[in-house]
Amino acid sequence: MDTSSPAAFVNGGLLRMHVGRKVRTVIQVTRSDAGSVMGKSTDGCQLVVRGSPPAPLTSYVEVIGVAENESSIRAELWTNFGDSFDASNYDQLCQLANGELKHLFL
Amino acid sequence: MQANEFDGNAAFAGGGFMPSQATQTAPDRPSYSSKNSDARCLTPVTVKQLKDLSKVGESGISIDGVDVNNIVLVGVISKIDNAVSDCTFRVDDGTGWVECTKWIHEHVDSVEVDVISVGMYVRVYGQFKSIQSRRPITDFNEIAHHFLECIYVHLYNTKLRPRMTNATDGMTAQPQVANSNSGNHIMGFSHQTNSTNQFSNQYNTDEEQIRGISSMVLQYLRRPACLASEMGVSSDIVARELNVSVDKVRKTLDFLASEGLVYTTTDDHYKFTDA
Repeated sequence: MDTSSPAAFVNGGLLRMHVGRKVRTVIQVTRSDAGSVMGKSTDGCQLVVRGSPPAPLTSYVEVIGVAENESSIRAELWTNFGDSFDASNYDQLCQLANGELKHLFL
Repeated sequence: MQANEFDGNAAFAGGGFMPSQATQTAPDRPSYSSKNSDARCLTPVTVKQLKDLSKVGESGISIDGVDVNNIVLVGVISKIDNAVSDCTFRVDDGTGWVECTKWIHEHVDSVEVDVISVGMYVRVYGQFKSIQSRRPITDFNEIAHHFLECIYVHLYNTKLRPRMTNATDGMTAQPQVANSNSGNHIMGFSHQTNSTNQFSNQYNTDEEQIRGISSMVLQYLRRPACLASEMGVSSDIVARELNVSVDKVRKTLDFLASEGLVYTTTDDHYKFTDA
């Protein structure tokens, strides 16, 4: 993992603000193929994450990688977040971390 | 404190997270001078906050005006160097990375260290110079929670603490958050923090006279969402959100209207005056 650049907390809607940059988000996996995973972001958007996911994959997975466009991420790091995760909590965090409190994170 | 209110301070108060706990309602806390109690508290931080500190080059460590000695970090281990007397590892929390050192004095320490591996999420407690303990994370909601705590403490330190030391009467002592039935606690924090400040400074004498439901209704109407709506809020909605009977709410709103604190827009819709 490239540890030198910080990753912005994003949900589906915020991804477009960070295209080309390092982001992190949690998705709920809806489909997984070799080479890519489709999932629902914490704010309900469909996202595609390309890369090699770990196997087995839990329901929620955090991905850290580079945003390719407003609905896809090329993942560098995958972390299984288990099957019970508070998505709305995380979603609120994304909104706060991109709002007036950005300076605490990026 | 009213039964329905969500006291953010109490929610985060466990484990000494909030600075100057002496001024809060917890009765069993002895009252230290503020410098002492700050140094005893554990502050959640992001690595970015720590990096900003060292850029400024302060020797007495403080964040947002609060002396910080003990900190909590949550992140992923990206590197481990295990030596005989100590273990150095790198923690990356997405906002940057920081080197941490754990001194190994006893067998217990080395057992702790063996459990940690690269790529694992951990929560780290320690002092800015050295790290005392860390444990692996199993519930990943902890990660979001940690960052939300960082945000809360930051807002508390920058917005509410200055007000608290300036306030002359006891009403402003508690950074209370009004009833948030919607379950959207976090949004409630950032908005209510601001409105409570303005509220308490301008309307102190009014608030002393208006008790119970009135202050709850007022706080509800002062929410940004309510202020922004042209039509105002109907008394039904207020009653439902505050969990109070519609009758009581209507009576309260009538009273507030007669005091000039709210006004009616259309039938049964109310807005806070002087938004």
